[in-house]
Amino acid sequence: MTDISGTLAGSLPQRQRVDTERTAKLLFIVPAVIYLFCLSIIPFVYSVYLSLFQAKLTRLDRKFYVGLENYKDLLTDPTFLKSIQNTAFLTLSSIGIELILGFTFAKVFLSIRDMRAGQVLRSVAILPMMITPICVGLIFGYILNPTLGIANYLLSQVGVDPVTWFGDPAVALPTVIAINAWQWTPFMMLLMLAGLVSIPPSLYEAAELENAKWYHVARWIELPAIRDVILVGVILRVIDNLKLFDLVYVTTRGGPGDSTELITYFAYRQSFSFFQVGYGSAAAVIILLISIIVTTISVNYLRRLQND
Amino acid sequence: MKGRKSLKIATSAIALAALATTAGAVDWSTELGDHSGVDLRVQVIQDPFIDSLKEISPTFEGVTGASVTIEGFGYDPLHEKQILGCSQSDDQYDVLFVDGIWIGEFVEAGCVEPVEDRVAAEDPEIMAMDDYIESFAGQAVWEGKLQCLPIAGYWHMLHYRKDLFEEAGLEVPKTFDELMAAAKFFAESPDHPDVAGMAMNFQRGSPAGQQFFEWIYSAGGKPWESNFPGSEDAYADQTPLFNSPKAVEMIQFFRDMVPYGPPGVEQFAWDDRANAFTQGKVAMINNWSVRTPLFSDPKISKVKDVFDVALFPHAEGATAVPPVGGWVMCINQHSGKKDAAWDYMKWFAHPDTHKTFVLAGGPPSRHSAMQDPEIIAAQPWVPTLYESAKLAWQELRPRHAYTFEMIDALGFEVNRAITGEATPQEAMDAANETITRMLQRAGYIE
Repeated sequence: MTDISGTLAGSLPQRQRVDTERTAKLLFIVPAVIYLFCLSIIPFVYSVYLSLFQAKLTRLDRKFYVGLENYKDLLTDPTFLKSIQNTAFLTLSSIGIELILGFTFAKVFLSIRDMRAGQVLRSVAILPMMITPICVGLIFGYILNPTLGIANYLLSQVGVDPVTWFGDPAVALPTVIAINAWQWTPFMMLLMLAGLVSIPPSLYEAAELENAKWYHVARWIELPAIRDVILVGVILRVIDNLKLFDLVYVTTRGGPGDSTELITYFAYRQSFSFFQVGYGSAAAVIILLISIIVTTISVNYLRRLQND
Repeated sequence: MKGRKSLKIATSAIALAALATTAGAVDWSTELGDHSGVDLRVQVIQDPFIDSLKEISPTFEGVTGASVTIEGFGYDPLHEKQILGCSQSDDQYDVLFVDGIWIGEFVEAGCVEPVEDRVAAEDPEIMAMDDYIESFAGQAVWEGKLQCLPIAGYWHMLHYRKDLFEEAGLEVPKTFDELMAAAKFFAESPDHPDVAGMAMNFQRGSPAGQQFFEWIYSAGGKPWESNFPGSEDAYADQTPLFNSPKAVEMIQFFRDMVPYGPPGVEQFAWDDRANAFTQGKVAMINNWSVRTPLFSDPKISKVKDVFDVALFPHAEGATAVPPVGGWVMCINQHSGKKDAAWDYMKWFAHPDTHKTFVLAGGPPSRHSAMQDPEIIAAQPWVPTLYESAKLAWQELRPRHAYTFEMIDALGFEVNRAITGEATPQEAMDAANETITRMLQRAGYIE
């Protein structure tokens, strides 16, 4: 087969060839640029623009410029500040639980990976992450219903008083965290299992010769070997948790009080319940900034680890 | 498919024949236009009456040739979808069911076409506007103009387990004190350990916020300066009074009722309250009348023959002002089928159709329906409902463009007081401050 491009390139002067290549590259990225421009850049710029106005969706013709007033109000709004605190707590707690349980289950599935039952169980274990979060919320809403739910019924059978899972400010956020961790532990488990499978058996054999305990193996062999995988998982889960919305929307609606108010739910309420699109846009811009800062730090850390 | 269509036509013909036999029956074939080929889309709340609406609409289809598609949504999603649709001049739906308290927001945003001129152009006997119950009919009016038709009025009644009250030899509570005493009695009764005293809406946001407005007048208070039963202009002075002594006292009452509610009552909203009562888990609830038929539905209710209703209670020295709410039926300003939409509304709102709707389980909104012997025989709670309707105050909750935000802000603080995160005084001070700022920003107060 004749290499036409090579023939053409060879027959063109050097400068012309460079120009053609540059044009081709530009043409290749045009669709992506148009896509990003229309669906990301324009809405973002418009959000920033709206955030400088006091604007209600139903009275957009009467919006007026307030400068950075919305941002100032947000940073003194106790509900917004609480939502940041709740989101941070939820993110750290969920990921912490997912890491511990994920690693434990990964080890279990690693040890039974050659058994048929192990393969079946592994498939069953990842079912929670295949369920839409809104359905997870609805299902747990029924299970944890204080009057009619099965959870309190089972507890009552062993003499435990009914628990108000979503009604007690001290219990509601841990309940949301537990549901969130239940759904996403399989994701962490799968990542870690993939990492563990790739560890050369010779390392385990060496540890066995040295009479290493299981925690020595975990500390000195397994965790260092799957460090990159864990960090990728953590970054993805941080991003997921920063945009967590559905679960709170169907279970607690941010309550009781502001105990489960998350930043996404706060922004949603401002923009789509009250239609205060100026204030809501300012909240969305701050959320974006937080996301950018957190993910940039995480990605840089990951790069540094990979370079080490 | 063909069989279903024939069945629909036959059903319509029977319904029409039945209507025609009544004195003064309307000949809808001449009153309504031919809308063959029109697909009329109705956007409605997913409240129990949606089934009644679906049940009777084939009659309209049979007469006009139109097809009617009815789509239901939850409370918050409906509000979001309607306002977002309106902001995009969406003509997907032709008839909108709008909560009476959203009317100011919808009018301001230009989402609905006022029906005043259309009503004026119709035969007054067909529209029978005087037949609507005043306390709800006023919710269809905004800026002095009839915007929509007030077709699904709700009023609050106290729903109670008459079997338990009879067994205990207790009188049905009329005052807040009696209510609390009865709630305490049942909550602590060893005879019925699975039955709580009373369930109220305490969930953060709209449920708790609306609960405030539902009780404040019967507590002897008012939400803002010029809003009280009989006020000439409820919006003349909107200075908030959410931290008035009466309001704080009422929130304290709510908080004191928490131990007598079912587990998790702090997070209860409309469905939770009704479900608890339906399942026999609670002795009393205050509830919108639209759900009352559900309690007597043997398929879902365990309290079918053992519940009764009474007037909404009141504080000592105050009088009962039962809450009023419900849905008004509007023409979507952006619809391309306004004439068909109006014909549907005109037909639906007519007293005869309304009676059919009520007998199918819909909420009565007309004097004629409330006094109809056939309806009373089918729904024995209607006389108490009618009494409640006559005592109600149409401006119960705010109806301006900030109502949703205002009720949510209030509900946030009421819930904080309920869960003990703040004292009633702290919570109501915070609510008053937030709402004052909100109303100032909106230009409603200085």
